[in-house]
Amino acid sequence: MSQYFAGVDIGSTMTKVVIMNEAVLASVIGPTGPEHRKLANRVMEEALAKAKLAFEDITYVVATGYGRINVPFADKQITEISCHARGVAHLLPEVRTVIDIGGQDSKGIKLKEGRAVDFVMNDKCAAGTGRFLEVAAEELGVSLEDMGRLSLEAENRVEISSTCTVFAAQEVVAKLSEGVALSDIIAGLHEAIAIRIYGMVRRLKIEREVALTGGGAKNIGLVKALEAKLGFPVLVPPEPLLTGAIGAALLGRDIVQEAAKKGETLVRSERRLTEATLFT
Amino acid sequence: MTEEKKPEERKKRRTATEAASKIGPMVKASIGGTVQAREEGKPIAYTFICCCYDEIIQAMDIVPVWTENYAGVCGAKRDAQRFLERAESENFSRSLCTYALCGLGFDAWREELGEMPPEAPWGGQARPDMMLGSGQMLCDPRNKWYQAAQHYMPDVPIYDVGLPWPPYEDDYDYREVQDYYVKYIVEELKGLVQFLEKHTGRKMDWERLSQLVDLTDKTWNLIWEAYELRRAVPTPMGTGDAMNTMVPMVFMMGTQEGYDYYKDLYDELKRKIANKEGVIPDEKYRLIWGGGLPSWFALTDFNYFNSKGAVFPVETTYRMIEAIYNFDMDLSKITDPLEHIAWRWVKFWTYWHDRARKRPGSHPDVERLIKYIEDYKIDGIVMHEAFSCRSWHVGLIWQLNLLKKVYRNIPSLILESDIVDISSYNEVDTRARIDAFIDTLEAVKSKKG
Repeated sequence: MSQYFAGVDIGSTMTKVVIMNEAVLASVIGPTGPEHRKLANRVMEEALAKAKLAFEDITYVVATGYGRINVPFADKQITEISCHARGVAHLLPEVRTVIDIGGQDSKGIKLKEGRAVDFVMNDKCAAGTGRFLEVAAEELGVSLEDMGRLSLEAENRVEISSTCTVFAAQEVVAKLSEGVALSDIIAGLHEAIAIRIYGMVRRLKIEREVALTGGGAKNIGLVKALEAKLGFPVLVPPEPLLTGAIGAALLGRDIVQEAAKKGETLVRSERRLTEATLFT
Repeated sequence: MTEEKKPEERKKRRTATEAASKIGPMVKASIGGTVQAREEGKPIAYTFICCCYDEIIQAMDIVPVWTENYAGVCGAKRDAQRFLERAESENFSRSLCTYALCGLGFDAWREELGEMPPEAPWGGQARPDMMLGSGQMLCDPRNKWYQAAQHYMPDVPIYDVGLPWPPYEDDYDYREVQDYYVKYIVEELKGLVQFLEKHTGRKMDWERLSQLVDLTDKTWNLIWEAYELRRAVPTPMGTGDAMNTMVPMVFMMGTQEGYDYYKDLYDELKRKIANKEGVIPDEKYRLIWGGGLPSWFALTDFNYFNSKGAVFPVETTYRMIEAIYNFDMDLSKITDPLEHIAWRWVKFWTYWHDRARKRPGSHPDVERLIKYIEDYKIDGIVMHEAFSCRSWHVGLIWQLNLLKKVYRNIPSLILESDIVDISSYNEVDTRARIDAFIDTLEAVKSKKG
């Protein structure tokens, strides 16, 4: 009988669900949002429908991400560092360093034999995260998706000197009023975020190959700006938002296989596909 | 109004040792004692941690007010923000030392009111008759804080003791210059005694001072022996407790109460070891607190580590003693008490120099980490970068990188927050980092098999 494993990654901005057996059968990416914070079950239902499976068919569920405690139907919660490491090691085995740029934090992970052995995180300042570009895009009246492409059109990249997201947004407005070209400002913003991320990750002694994951990896301008800092090209998984969820599903599979090998009976959570109860 | 904000106090942290649980009442009694001493007209002095003049003020019956400690108490009680905001409104930058800011905010407020600020933690910090700086190489607020406090108390005199020690260089032996440093410190201490005599109208009792200096030597040895007991597996005491048990070490040298406290701690740890009673019964990971002052408002993070199977048998922070008998000179032969204090100071700060010179590219701070990692069977290192304390925190990452270069790779975690300013702290993110660190420890351990 086939075994199916689910990984649920509740990030600050997006919720991701993956259902796997040997390969990914279905995946769903949806916004986390204030209301959806407790609705991981809805995203899970969507993924199950895509995979044509019922919840009872799932052998093991691992939740990860900052909202992992809000997944009442998970069998286990595992940190996003471990899940990203496992996911990247599976998708891109040659990778030794992962840079994950999320909506509200960014992190660097050092891998050895497929496991995280060191990490750094920026959860203090929005200036090194996706939020920085989000705020700037709003200020510039440009869609977030277009920011990366526009940054590559710059001819005279400007320097954004403010290290605070809010003040950087003000600086952007000032530059606009000075008549600086939009693409030059956007390139400056990408450079600013790349400097901060690179400064954080180099604490790990970066080793090639380097993979870029998270929403930031979908931004070609940021990829190029980071490559310029690193001095070599980075690898980006086919769907960089899903590495954590894939890693979670794979770790679930590892747990089940390890238990079977040892002849142990797994203690499973009393799983029901319900929404999380918050603030009780 | 900001000044009326007073958050609810947190529940007490669970301690592993009885000794640690005694510290809160001791500190409370000390703070209350200073307020009472003020009423009784006893001379009161603002003083610093590891000030080198403990025995001098004890010998002259001057009541110390531990200003850094009071800021830490405000932080631990989560009631520092109103004092920080007060200092900020006086135009002090929030990026300055938050111990100093908290103290300055408190002093400005107390002086304006002519009485303690409302609901001041543990009765408040008494107005001093004098302020005794103790600076140079430890940190700049130890010189500048009291000068700034004098803005609000212009009638309170200051004496600033300079306490240098030979810096580390790998191509010279500090012994070539140590005499100069000792001579300088002795002159500084003589000046302090003259200052105190002038402002109290009392004469130094040199015989008593010598006795208290000997008592401090004995206490240092006893603390070292007690702390070395923590090598045991399971360890009977962790860093969370050591952040309490350090109080007599750094503020109460030259007192019988301080000596007796560590005798009790020693006996308690011996008893726990005999009963195989650890901080937690099943230690999975042994960690070193490898640098940085703690977030006083978040000491429960140590309990969170414990809940994950991690213990801290050792720390570099606030282990401000060495065994006197391990020094390369016989201090008992230095009979002049001021010279004795000066030699103890220089020998403490140069203690790790020789080890560092034996390992190319190393540094005394790194050698200390290496020794503790080996002696205490350490699996990982945790440091805390407190944004407002430059002196103790600049260079932590450099130390960590050097450790990995000259010794070996070891899992490490850098926490980021502050000592007093709770606005820099996020419990959810901090604990997410701790969870991730535990994962990396597990990964490294399982690879070793």
